[in-house]
Amino acid sequence: MVRDADPGLTRWRRRRRARALLHRPLPAPPDALRRGPLRPGAFPSPLRSPRLAGLLGAALAVAFGICFVTGLISHLVQHPPAWFWWPSRPAGLYRFTQGLHVATGLATIPLLGAKLWAVTPRLYAWPPARSIAHAAERLAVAALVAAALFQVVSGVFNVARWYAPMPFFFTAGHYWVAWLAVGALLVHVGVKLPVARRADPGPRTRPGGLSRRGLFTAVGIGAGVVTAATVGQTVAPLQDLSVLAPRRPRDGPQGLPVNRTAAQAGVRAGPDHRLVVAGPGGSVTLGLADLAGLPQHTVRLPIACVEGWSATADWTGVRLRDLVALVGADPATATVDAESLQARGRYRASTVPPQHVGDPLTLVALRVNGGVLHPDHGYPARLIAPNRPGVLQTKWLARLTVRGGS
Amino acid sequence: MRRALIVAGVLVTGYAIAGAAGDPDLSPGGVLVFLVAVLVAHDAAVMPAAIGAGALITRWVPPDHRTPVRVAALCSAVVTVVAVPLRLGAGGLPLTRLLVVLAVVWAAAAAAIAVRAIRKHLERRAAAAGG
Repeated sequence: MVRDADPGLTRWRRRRRARALLHRPLPAPPDALRRGPLRPGAFPSPLRSPRLAGLLGAALAVAFGICFVTGLISHLVQHPPAWFWWPSRPAGLYRFTQGLHVATGLATIPLLGAKLWAVTPRLYAWPPARSIAHAAERLAVAALVAAALFQVVSGVFNVARWYAPMPFFFTAGHYWVAWLAVGALLVHVGVKLPVARRADPGPRTRPGGLSRRGLFTAVGIGAGVVTAATVGQTVAPLQDLSVLAPRRPRDGPQGLPVNRTAAQAGVRAGPDHRLVVAGPGGSVTLGLADLAGLPQHTVRLPIACVEGWSATADWTGVRLRDLVALVGADPATATVDAESLQARGRYRASTVPPQHVGDPLTLVALRVNGGVLHPDHGYPARLIAPNRPGVLQTKWLARLTVRGGS
Repeated sequence: MRRALIVAGVLVTGYAIAGAAGDPDLSPGGVLVFLVAVLVAHDAAVMPAAIGAGALITRWVPPDHRTPVRVAALCSAVVTVVAVPLRLGAGGLPLTRLLVVLAVVWAAAAAAIAVRAIRKHLERRAAAAGG
């Protein structure tokens, strides 16, 4: 062998050899195995075309993009890294982003179904793998399809509070698989871009068959029906129409829905309840009469659940900033850790950042819609703040710890 | 452009796998099981059933009525996919709610078929009168 004089040329050759290996045709399986859906012409609908798959894919990418961004917002609000800042106004912003997240996810069901229908013949491609590169591409598509189905199915299960079939903690699984879906989607778009660009429109209609426009209309009607049947969980005027809404805004005690009841949380509080407020300037212990003796304010705020429902109520109680001032801290810069009577549970405590502490709409509420809080709404006292997910509106408040702001 | 998309996609996928593996709240095995389960359930059961239903519609429904029937079948499948977990979950959705939605969907399909039939009949009569 003669040593190559130019190392650059060698590298180029090596790369070319590797590429040739990736694309070298693999031996095809015997044709006798080509049966059932693997037969040529097993999927006769002329409606399927690369163009249709590309258009449905583009629509799906928009839907997934909306769900990813709104989902990421919800994740960051609940697990804020140091760089993240979430405003306290507009008060209904989270209600909007999370309502949009769930509504878009539900409306995606017919779109995803149509897309997978359009590409079903590719699942039964023959030979199953033409080359190593082709096999890798198919694996990436499998990851994308699995991740997309995972997101939609686990999202529906969570909205339905049906956790038994999910062998993982929903919130964490839904979050990481969202990243997987986005990664696999980027790879897929990168691979398919030339196909989508040169895709010829194909035949428009066939007698007695659905046209491409007809299919899009059908998907749109499907999305419309599922939206109308559920969106009343956050758009109150539609609640009578939305017969499939998991929770409707006026369901529940005092005309307000509940996720976790006092019984589920294992909480029983009586009129002798005490709220401890601890801060840099000492701590105070307040009974219910003491809290009721402080200046009372009534605010109209939504409670917006991560599961997509939301409802507006009139809350009455003490401003959190007044309690913070009581223990010698500056409400404009203080952070408050709110803890519940609940002994265990992922959401037994929450942190209120300074922008929410200083907001005059943030209350330690004692009453809702004119009556004393129902135990399921957090009797004797709960947190209610603008633009926060419901899981952070801590109920059955036992202790407020004020940090900073001195 | 293509290369940038693919490289970004591989990086994001790597972030997802590393993040899932390092999250103390998550059992990656459970996630993997569910990923495979939804993929197999879809490819082996849901999509074949949908394609089979489509073939039955093509076979049994006259061409003039197929589109409303197909649209109603698609809507029925979508609301059922949403309603069944709601029925089995903590909320225990009453099944009558699903039946109401299905009834509305199929009543709309029947109305669309009736409108088409009447329109066709009138057209034929007008053509006969003209000819």
